[in-house]
Amino acid sequence: MTGLVVTGWSSITAAGVGEAPPLEPLPAARVTDLFEEALPEESAPVLTGFDVRAHLGRKGTGSYDRATALATTACGEALKAGSVEVNDATRGRIGVVLGTTVGSFRSTSDYSRDTLVQEKPYLVNPLLFPNTVMNCAAGQAAIRHGLKGVNSTVAGGPLAFHQALRYAANALERGYADVMLVGCVEEYSPHRAWQTAAARRSGPTGEGTAVFVVERADAARRPGSTVQAEVLAVATAFGWGDAAADALAGCVLRVLREAGVTAGEVTAVATGDAQEYEPAARALGHRPERVTVSELYGQCDAATGGLSLGALLGRRLGGVALLTARTRDGGVGAALVRGPS
Amino acid sequence: MPRVVVTGLGPVSSIGTGIEEFARGLRAGRSGISEITGFDVSGFPHRRGGEVHDFAPEATLRRLTPAEWGRSSQFAAVAARLAATDGGFDPAGDEPGRAGAVIGTTSGESVVMEALTEQIVTTGFDGMSPGLLEQLPANRLAHAVSAELGLTGESLTLATACSASNYAIGYAYDLVHSGQADVMFAGGADSVCRWAHAGFFRLGALTKDACTPFDRDRSGILTGEGGAILMLESLEHARRRGARIYAEVLGYGLNCDANHPVAPDAASIADCMRTAQRNAGVKPSEVDYVCAHGTGTPANDTVEARAIFEVFGPKPPPVSSIKSMIGHTMGAASGFGAIAAIFAIDRGFLPPTINWTTPDPAFADLDPVPNTARQARVRVVQNNGFAFGGNNAITLFGALA
Repeated sequence: MTGLVVTGWSSITAAGVGEAPPLEPLPAARVTDLFEEALPEESAPVLTGFDVRAHLGRKGTGSYDRATALATTACGEALKAGSVEVNDATRGRIGVVLGTTVGSFRSTSDYSRDTLVQEKPYLVNPLLFPNTVMNCAAGQAAIRHGLKGVNSTVAGGPLAFHQALRYAANALERGYADVMLVGCVEEYSPHRAWQTAAARRSGPTGEGTAVFVVERADAARRPGSTVQAEVLAVATAFGWGDAAADALAGCVLRVLREAGVTAGEVTAVATGDAQEYEPAARALGHRPERVTVSELYGQCDAATGGLSLGALLGRRLGGVALLTARTRDGGVGAALVRGPS
Repeated sequence: MPRVVVTGLGPVSSIGTGIEEFARGLRAGRSGISEITGFDVSGFPHRRGGEVHDFAPEATLRRLTPAEWGRSSQFAAVAARLAATDGGFDPAGDEPGRAGAVIGTTSGESVVMEALTEQIVTTGFDGMSPGLLEQLPANRLAHAVSAELGLTGESLTLATACSASNYAIGYAYDLVHSGQADVMFAGGADSVCRWAHAGFFRLGALTKDACTPFDRDRSGILTGEGGAILMLESLEHARRRGARIYAEVLGYGLNCDANHPVAPDAASIADCMRTAQRNAGVKPSEVDYVCAHGTGTPANDTVEARAIFEVFGPKPPPVSSIKSMIGHTMGAASGFGAIAAIFAIDRGFLPPTINWTTPDPAFADLDPVPNTARQARVRVVQNNGFAFGGNNAITLFGALA
């Protein structure tokens, strides 16, 4: 693949709007004070006091759910950070691809709930219907920021950010777009918190978003844009059941080969969960520093990959980092990123 | 760069499962609409939809255990298995990692979502079943296909609502065209669900009995379901193994209205058509048939017709909507459209717009292929898909020259 570069980015976590995710635990908040519903935990590293109107104004934001508000705000911040000018000459060539698991679990389930608990099953709010569709955040980000280019939503769960990078790379290489906003988002809700608990996964449930301005590394890049990181290669694959670990190791070897990078140059491995490290280290032949943001930010599902990259860039990553991901059901991915030298 | 061809088709629809049944249904103008049984419709004024009755995944699936997968994943996996069988797919001898799956959807595992929601309502959040929660993530639609067929390449679910199959076909086409894959299974799947039925009703977009696209008196969609998957491969790969070739994927186009979450935009849709035609190297005059998005809502069909006249001029090719027969199958819709488009090329007939009685004076010169399938020599078809979020996606297919 053609090399890609990141020329601006922004993330939103409990650390703040536009603050790089830190390589330390995010502050926990008393979620029992924030939600009316019962929760399986008293505290979790969620955003408190985030108000989309403070960033995007009142108009048009009233119907946003939390995931849409987070992603749409982060898209705006990323455009600013990358000095991307959106005007009638450029808007058709600027695209968005966002990663999710199911969109907003809460919006969809609450909508479905209304068909059961209202006096009539059809007494649902038509204005909120689009929030039940998984492309809501990407569509609203396009509306808010006037982006008429390729607009896509990948439902990859923990693999979503890698898949979004792959999708964006294709759109850029094929010449469908000049600039892609590549991001991922997950909101905290009672639904997700109970889902994490039911799966007996460690730690609290988290939330956040990260959005990156991605362009081609070659002459197609916007003049004057500043390279903040190079995305050297991204690969995703599938290995069912016992084949998943080997499939992940295979992705690692493939990105090394495609990037023309030796395993020895990899100085950090950011994994989605702890089980990814062994197959990655096996493929690399050594054991670089491990970063696992789910241990610091709670289970962030689809947002994990983007937050991992944000955390690496935030500490001014030197050298090459490997980012790995996998779904429970056999999807695997690897990406190689070089920080600013 | 490698040319990309279609060598296998897998429809699971309310008018038939498998290519012969589905083709017979389209040719006969059969309606797949019936009273919905998947959920309790008694409280709804409108009760009909395009459900797939007697769906028996265990009869087709070889590797997956259906009970471990949600209904939409089952649709996807069965449709993919049918396409693989139809196309004579045999990964033995191929380099590993060169075959994958890209599946589009609007609502993913919506039936699972509704079952979980009932558990929340009945017993509270801690009553959600861990087994159902595991089935919820939408990435499982693509993974079901990969697991069923033993694919080790990319396994991607694209959740771009009602044009998602066209997104999937487009991305799969790119992977083959750019030499990154040899074979890709692409299309979409969705299931009829209560919340979408309610939502469309409250938007005023749900009709009562029959969907009547492009008719003056059309009054909305009927929700439908199913799986529609195409086997795409490089021309060279297909020729090497002596595969039957249905049609060539000429290209596709995407854009975003960036205007309104649910209202379509004629200028933006016309732009998307031009982009798709340019990417495919096709002139408007070369398009023989348009397989319409054609939802049957007053707004969609007016906007779609306006865009067609803008791009094709005063005498556009015939434009029909198979949603008149199978309802709006959401993320599978443009996958079914693609299969219909390929039948038009390979079998030489245009599927009809059924339930049509009265021309709309706003687009009187549009030929909706009313009520009866038509024999036609078709070289190039444009397959339209539009969606909430302004996600427009159009694919073009052609006879292999």
